[in-house]
Amino acid sequence: MLITHTHVSTMDRECASLLPSVCEVLADSGRSVPDDTSLEKLLDWFTGLTEAGGSLLEACPCLLKFISTVVYNAASDPGVLSFTLRLTGLMAATEDGFKMLQERSVLNQVFNLQHWQEAGLWDDPCLRIGWIQGLRSTLQHPKALRFFVQSDFIDSLLQLQTDTSLFVASAANRMLAHILLFFQKVSSAGSNSVNKKEEDDERGIHHSATDLEPPAVTMETSAEYSAVVKGISEYLKESLIPKENTKLHQSLQILKLLALLLAQAGPPLRDKLLQRVTDSLEQLVTAGCSQLTLPLMDVILAANSCGPDGRVPDQRVTRLLSSMLSVNNAADRCHAAAALLRRGHHDTVHTARAVRILLLPLDIITGPTLLGTNASADEHPFSVVEQLKSKTSCISMICVCLTNTPQITLTPPGVLPCPPVLIVTAVVSLLRICSGTSSSSSTGSSEVCRNVIGSGKVQKCALEALTALNSSPGAKEKISEVFTILIQYLDSPDSDPTVLHKSYQALVKWIRVCTDLSLITDQLRQDLVEVVKKRACDMRWEVRDSTVEFLGHLAGVHVSVSSGEEVCDASEALLGGCCTTPLLREALQDTESYVRASAISALAKTLTHSWRQGAALTQDQTEIVSRLLEILSQDTEGFPRRAVVQYFISWFFSRSSHSPPSSSASLLMQCVRTVLSQGSADLDWEVKVHTLELAELLLDQAFSAHRGYRNGSDAHRALQRPYGVVSDQAYTLHTHTEGVQPDLAYVVEQGVISALLSGLVDCDRPVALKACRLLITLRETICPLSLGALDATAATATVPCELPGRGWGQEITKILEMEKSDRAREADVSAQRSSSAADGGGDGVSVSVCEVLRSLGLDQRLDVLTQSSDHIHNSPLSLLQDILTASGAHAHPDTKPGQEVIVDCY
Amino acid sequence: MKLYCLSGHPTLPCNVLKFKSTTIMLDCGLDTTSVLNFLPLPLVHSPRLSKLPSWVSKDGTINLEKELKECAGRVFVDSQPEFCLPERELLDLSTIDVILISNYHCMMALPYITEHTGFTGTVYATEPTLQIGRLLMEELVKFMERVPKAQSATCWKNKEIQRMLPGPLKDAVDVWTWKRSYSMQEVNSALSKVQLVGYSQKVELFGAVQVSPLSSGYSLGSSNWVIQSHHEKVAYVSGSSLLTTHPQPMDQSSLKNSDVLILTGLTQMPTANPDGMLGEFCSNLAMTIRAGGNVLVPCYSSGVIYDLLECLYQFIESANLGTTPFYFISPVANSSLEFSQIFAEWLCHNKQSKVYLPEPPFPHAELIQTNKLKHYPSIHGDFSSEFRQPCVVFTGHPSLRFGDVVHFMELWGKSGLNTIIFTEPDFSYLDALAPYQPLAMKCVYCPIDTRLNFHQVSKLLKEVQPLHVVCPEQYTQPPLTQSHRSDLMLELQPPPMPYRRCSVLNLPFRRRYERVYILPELANSLVPSEIKPGVSMATVSAVLHSKDNKHTLQSVPKPPPVPPSKKRKRVMEEPPVVLAPKPLLSGAVPLEAFLATLQKHGITEVKVEETADGHILHLQAEDTLIQLEEDGTHIVCDNNEPLRTTLRDLVLRFLQKL
Repeated sequence: MLITHTHVSTMDRECASLLPSVCEVLADSGRSVPDDTSLEKLLDWFTGLTEAGGSLLEACPCLLKFISTVVYNAASDPGVLSFTLRLTGLMAATEDGFKMLQERSVLNQVFNLQHWQEAGLWDDPCLRIGWIQGLRSTLQHPKALRFFVQSDFIDSLLQLQTDTSLFVASAANRMLAHILLFFQKVSSAGSNSVNKKEEDDERGIHHSATDLEPPAVTMETSAEYSAVVKGISEYLKESLIPKENTKLHQSLQILKLLALLLAQAGPPLRDKLLQRVTDSLEQLVTAGCSQLTLPLMDVILAANSCGPDGRVPDQRVTRLLSSMLSVNNAADRCHAAAALLRRGHHDTVHTARAVRILLLPLDIITGPTLLGTNASADEHPFSVVEQLKSKTSCISMICVCLTNTPQITLTPPGVLPCPPVLIVTAVVSLLRICSGTSSSSSTGSSEVCRNVIGSGKVQKCALEALTALNSSPGAKEKISEVFTILIQYLDSPDSDPTVLHKSYQALVKWIRVCTDLSLITDQLRQDLVEVVKKRACDMRWEVRDSTVEFLGHLAGVHVSVSSGEEVCDASEALLGGCCTTPLLREALQDTESYVRASAISALAKTLTHSWRQGAALTQDQTEIVSRLLEILSQDTEGFPRRAVVQYFISWFFSRSSHSPPSSSASLLMQCVRTVLSQGSADLDWEVKVHTLELAELLLDQAFSAHRGYRNGSDAHRALQRPYGVVSDQAYTLHTHTEGVQPDLAYVVEQGVISALLSGLVDCDRPVALKACRLLITLRETICPLSLGALDATAATATVPCELPGRGWGQEITKILEMEKSDRAREADVSAQRSSSAADGGGDGVSVSVCEVLRSLGLDQRLDVLTQSSDHIHNSPLSLLQDILTASGAHAHPDTKPGQEVIVDCY
Repeated sequence: MKLYCLSGHPTLPCNVLKFKSTTIMLDCGLDTTSVLNFLPLPLVHSPRLSKLPSWVSKDGTINLEKELKECAGRVFVDSQPEFCLPERELLDLSTIDVILISNYHCMMALPYITEHTGFTGTVYATEPTLQIGRLLMEELVKFMERVPKAQSATCWKNKEIQRMLPGPLKDAVDVWTWKRSYSMQEVNSALSKVQLVGYSQKVELFGAVQVSPLSSGYSLGSSNWVIQSHHEKVAYVSGSSLLTTHPQPMDQSSLKNSDVLILTGLTQMPTANPDGMLGEFCSNLAMTIRAGGNVLVPCYSSGVIYDLLECLYQFIESANLGTTPFYFISPVANSSLEFSQIFAEWLCHNKQSKVYLPEPPFPHAELIQTNKLKHYPSIHGDFSSEFRQPCVVFTGHPSLRFGDVVHFMELWGKSGLNTIIFTEPDFSYLDALAPYQPLAMKCVYCPIDTRLNFHQVSKLLKEVQPLHVVCPEQYTQPPLTQSHRSDLMLELQPPPMPYRRCSVLNLPFRRRYERVYILPELANSLVPSEIKPGVSMATVSAVLHSKDNKHTLQSVPKPPPVPPSKKRKRVMEEPPVVLAPKPLLSGAVPLEAFLATLQKHGITEVKVEETADGHILHLQAEDTLIQLEEDGTHIVCDNNEPLRTTLRDLVLRFLQKL
């Protein structure tokens, strides 16, 4: 907000001078209107000004004239009119503004419904929405409420609630809610505001920026407020029941409004509302209209929530909830039960009912185990069976049940009709039935089973449910069963790629369950190996990709092989060492770039462990490394190249620091040089950014022990590299007493400086920004301007680096020259010579790193780079100019219609 | 109308339809599953097979040393393999007028029918069906003749002995009717009776019915048939497919409104989705090759192999199999690959349009050109010199009992690196592999059957709405091995009529109408009168003339001038006496209006009584009854003729006369 403010004030003068002419353009109905987005942006700007505490009327007096001109001009464009209505609302949001507008009788004119209707403009939804939003912005103080009531807007607003335009209808609904909630008595709303807020957040209700604090309701407004409440609640009561079965729209809207109100209203308003509508709600529940089930449930649940004061909800309201859970239609009942669970309703009686309702279809299909034999009559098992016999309703009901199973297992034990592990069993049986391999044990449900056999939707839902159920109590006992079914799904030729993907995900989740892999039989392991090998050769690249990803995820999971013993990664334990790496190596040759990229990441995950232990490189790994460098230099797609750089980042990061210099370490350092030089010359900006990340790691390694080096990524490290264990020892190798000179020389030799400098002049902003930040950090470390560091600087100043005579080298040289030309008056001969050499564009030049860092003007660069690239185009000034230019272009008689596009698209 | 069912195999049907005065055989499939009971015929001497022990019954009483061998617990007949023919005793096959062939897999029994039964009719088939059918027959004959076996085992067929045999041999039916393969000469003779037809071409059979083949989408030139008279339509649906593979898509709309639909040739693998199987095929192939093993694909030389090659064409690159050789070995390999490229008009649109580019419709041309796919007539000759491993071999026969595949089974069976991938659905892979046990080779079963599955067929039937459906009994219940899968059967209203081998079905509809032509001069003499808007009637007196199943109404010949003085020999020849016909009445007598009219004529005392068929009016004063019924009016009036006439005239006022 503060930024906006300062931003605004600096722009003010210029903008203020442009505004009158912009207003003129907008008000002139003869000129064509700027596009909607310009008007929206303009409005946003005005809103920003108001919120910053400025008075629009004072800042831009011309607006008042503009409003009256537009409003009285019958030929005004509806878009501009809508804008004007909203602008007026904005201006009337403060009491002062309101007063002034009212004195000039602008307000009456602007919101005069009859005027708009007579002018025939009311038919345009954009005007109606402008009217609603304008009024809504106005309604921030008692005066506005009085104006609203006196003008008798309430009926019109209620009518708009069922407007043909969805946007208008929903705006009207929100407006109605706003009036009732905003002007609630302070005494009632205030005491519980904190709790209420939390509760609302849970429900995902978003407060709009204008619901800041309720105004003090004085005696005079309270009369008006009660009139409004009475009017609205009367309307709610009357219109809640649909007159015909086909006209549900209105009921739907009212239910939405009611849910909104009940969730936020304080006790007096809430009670008043409930008192009015409960009868109608009862009727609606009895009517049993499927389309209204969910919104109705929202209302009932909102009405039922005990509220912060712990009051017990009205018995009638509780009864409504009970009736919802026993409506005749089984699918509706399921939806109602699911809604109840989702809202985290705390009343155990109803929760238990809901759980039983949701488990019933699952129970019917998989054979009665979940609910025991005593399914009570009000669960209507027969009607459920009937519904399940129709394919579409069967699939949708089962999916609703499945989506809620994880939630169900979390309910308290007393509520659950069976041990949670039985739910896992049921989902596994359902998966078996879906694949067509097993029949249900219950009799008479074969007709039902037929509907789910081969249904991809049910399979996916069931797999998701199974994935989430891994944390339910007792899951461990089921591990072998779960593995069997998942492997079966992975093996099935009919599984579509998403099903396979979800099976893999479930498998990874369930592997985490078993602390001890001895639970998984050798046969299962062997089957898994076979199926993974097969899927790695699948025709569909998505499947190959999921398989390769799975191998990576598996490597990231650590398990103990047999109880309590040696810990290793799950891919080794489950698939045996001989399977993963060869498959991944093969996948490096895949024709699909995504698969290659996934294979590279998976390889990195697989090898992390051995890197950490500092194990010697195998022949295999060396070959992989050379293949990766090949990919970096030759692959035509960006993804694999990005993955390669990240591979080296994680290698560098996880390399063992306390083992003696090994073949692994020397190969890594060798590669890092290549990666830095190739990565920074890549065409893909992400590759370049990753390369800079690698450079950063090298800098961290070299300088972290030195005074003044602030590790740029320390704060982010934990997030970026969750697998990395930062070893302190790496940084203590260097001591304070040694100068930075050898480190700098080393860094230069590795090509870090070249990578950073080339990044700095890169045309992609994120690359340049990152490079610039790193260079600044480096400068602070090796040549700080503080006096104490002078000694060190003297030595480091001599460390040179090469600038190539082409490309980025040339760019850097040019920058250096420009900097130098400022000092050209006292130019020394040597500098002349070096610059003339650079002009030749032939050989590179050698320059001092320190000098380069100092003379590149890094800080100014950083300033420029941090501003987003569209900062100029997004300023209000530019917006105003645009509107003017556009209108100028249009006004020009010679302009061809095509040109309009050019102006607008920008 | 009757249907005689000569084959019990649902996908290798052989049915005879008697319709009007014609006898039509629908397909003549050859059930080759019988060969699974025989030992394989090796191309080169196989020490393993020759050393198999003879089978001896437990009590040692039966010892058919020469005929039965035992391998891995199963008994095989050591003889030239034999086939189970369609039933030949159910009706006299010489009375068959025509044979309609729906696809090349369903004609393999043709020589048995046309050559030794006195058949004198015509066979109708499309050109690709004929040509590829010929190739398949030729391949079969060559496979058999290449390794002649002098001995023919017959003792085991003795009923007493067969009853004592173990396993599948004991349950084999009609073993006495099993026959050895036909000769090339018989093939040529049989095929010379084939008359070619094109899709939707209408062929008149004796003026009685019209038959017409429709594209069925299953294989090159495969067809369903519509057999119709003027008022009845029978649709015969054999192997059809809705998948987009290489053949022209299925013509569904022409099947609409049939009285009877005979449904055969659904997929043999209802649970195996062809796409999934193709994927499975490719991944297993790649997996084996990567591990350094060979892949053996036992297959027919035409059909699914085209799709397999096309699929591999795309897959080879992505799986890095570019250097692996693919071999296709069959006596007819070359012809099959080339024939497929020239039947452009029988291909799907996509492939047809390639021909105009011009490009070969199937990509296997490119595989051959780039030497990735090589084909050979047999393992002897060029093949042996160019053979490189690891490789992929496509070869027949899918039963693994004869053909070059037997050699590869002996060659590769011992190594676990190699894989055999079954793609043809006709044989159980376990039975096929039985004489090769113990086997180290990996076996993968990916049956690719593109024919209609139950889901597709119920959709199709909903669309075409036949009045009655006739199908093999296997389709009316879930498969034996998966009795819980009630989705794998036909459920229709009314339920389909099931048939089995040797069933004779009376098809459940009567012919009600016959088209009769009327000669122009006779038509000219008619005086139609409109009985209700759009419907006119006229009475006709004419002579009905029937010839070649065509019926014509001709004018009654004028009585010949009576020869003055001769006696007539027969009364029958006397021309019919033409009486002026009485006018025909139509319409109904409206009660209210009739009562009003009666009143006008002074009849007022009328008691109206409602009956089941109409009304009885009691004219009380006149003691007269008038019965008004739907199809008649009676006036019961004793001794008052004038009243009766009056009443009659009043009634007639309300009726129309012709």
